[in-house]
Amino acid sequence: MSRHAFRAMGTDVELLLDAEGAEAQAALRAAEAELRRLEALLSRFLPDSELSRLNRLGELAPGPDLLAVAEAALAARELTAGRFDPTVHDAVVAAGYDRTFELVAARGAPTPAVAARCGGGVEVDAASGTIRLDPGVRLDLGGIAKGYAVDRALRILAQHAPALVDAGGDIALTGKPWPVGVETADGTITLELAEGALATSGRDRRRWRAPEGERHHLIDPATGLPSEGDLLRVTAVAGTAAEAEVLAKALFLAGDADRAAAEADELGVPAVLVTRAGHTALAGGLA
Amino acid sequence: MTSHVARLYALAASILALFLAWIGIDAAPWQTEQPPAAAAAPADPAAAALAAYERRLRRDARLVRRVLAQRERQQSIPAPPAVRIVTAAPAATTRSS
Repeated sequence: MSRHAFRAMGTDVELLLDAEGAEAQAALRAAEAELRRLEALLSRFLPDSELSRLNRLGELAPGPDLLAVAEAALAARELTAGRFDPTVHDAVVAAGYDRTFELVAARGAPTPAVAARCGGGVEVDAASGTIRLDPGVRLDLGGIAKGYAVDRALRILAQHAPALVDAGGDIALTGKPWPVGVETADGTITLELAEGALATSGRDRRRWRAPEGERHHLIDPATGLPSEGDLLRVTAVAGTAAEAEVLAKALFLAGDADRAAAEADELGVPAVLVTRAGHTALAGGLA
Repeated sequence: MTSHVARLYALAASILALFLAWIGIDAAPWQTEQPPAAAAAPADPAAAALAAYERRLRRDARLVRRVLAQRERQQSIPAPPAVRIVTAAPAATTRSS
């Protein structure tokens, strides 16, 4: 087993490849390069990224990756009836997450939270390869871009051997049964899957000091403010890491654990739900 | 003077009589009171059956729309991969990202 760990996309990344030797090492380096390439395109914290240019200009003819991620994000907005929304950029910034998380965590939020409008117009014209934003609309692809990058890196590794990519909890794997830990209220359970992905959305990690006590980064597009439901975190299983990210976030924003569990059951999405009160529930066929 | 006062009394008495008559007619004591449901119900049994049929159709349409919307949501989410809970040590652990 070859392991390769590094830091990218504001988090710890680990690549596992069930092979040894120079070819395996080259594949791991290629997967790392792909993750870094996509970070350079899709990060809202890098002023020269395609995403930052789009947010500044309001219209851009980007490369295929930003086009694909924007298209997937809009499809996710449609599918989740607006619960997942890439136009939360201004609301995330208003909540205090206006720079990399390390800097936000160190500084905290100096002012009370202010709601910002979400749900603005975004047009992806696949024929001309152009993305247009309505005036005042900016995109934050943080809820899907990391999953997309993880899926792309896995595709590179999968050409060589069974592989697993873990970028700060967004995990995609293939080739053989992989045991993956999921944090519960009082420990960890292990799920095994041979193909697919898991992602966790929660308010327990990206949080920072604020005048009202504490604030987190998961914006409810309905209010334009950090979500105030009774869930602490949600882990969802799906075919790809991008899908798992979207589903975990959409279930987290369901408002309460009972509703999230009912939706996971209805949609057949295997999910682990942990409440702020310290309860763990399995849903979507997990038992 | 006396006849003037008498005329005033007569005028007041006739106005009072007019008001009393008005109140009496407005109360319509000759109409029997009916419960609202009975008043709203159509007298024709065929019309009543038609109204019930329309209510059933509307309820069925709502049910069909709800089932179709649910199916559409389920079909737009790809089937999840097979997953099971095991006791093995994890190769990686997912956490809030």
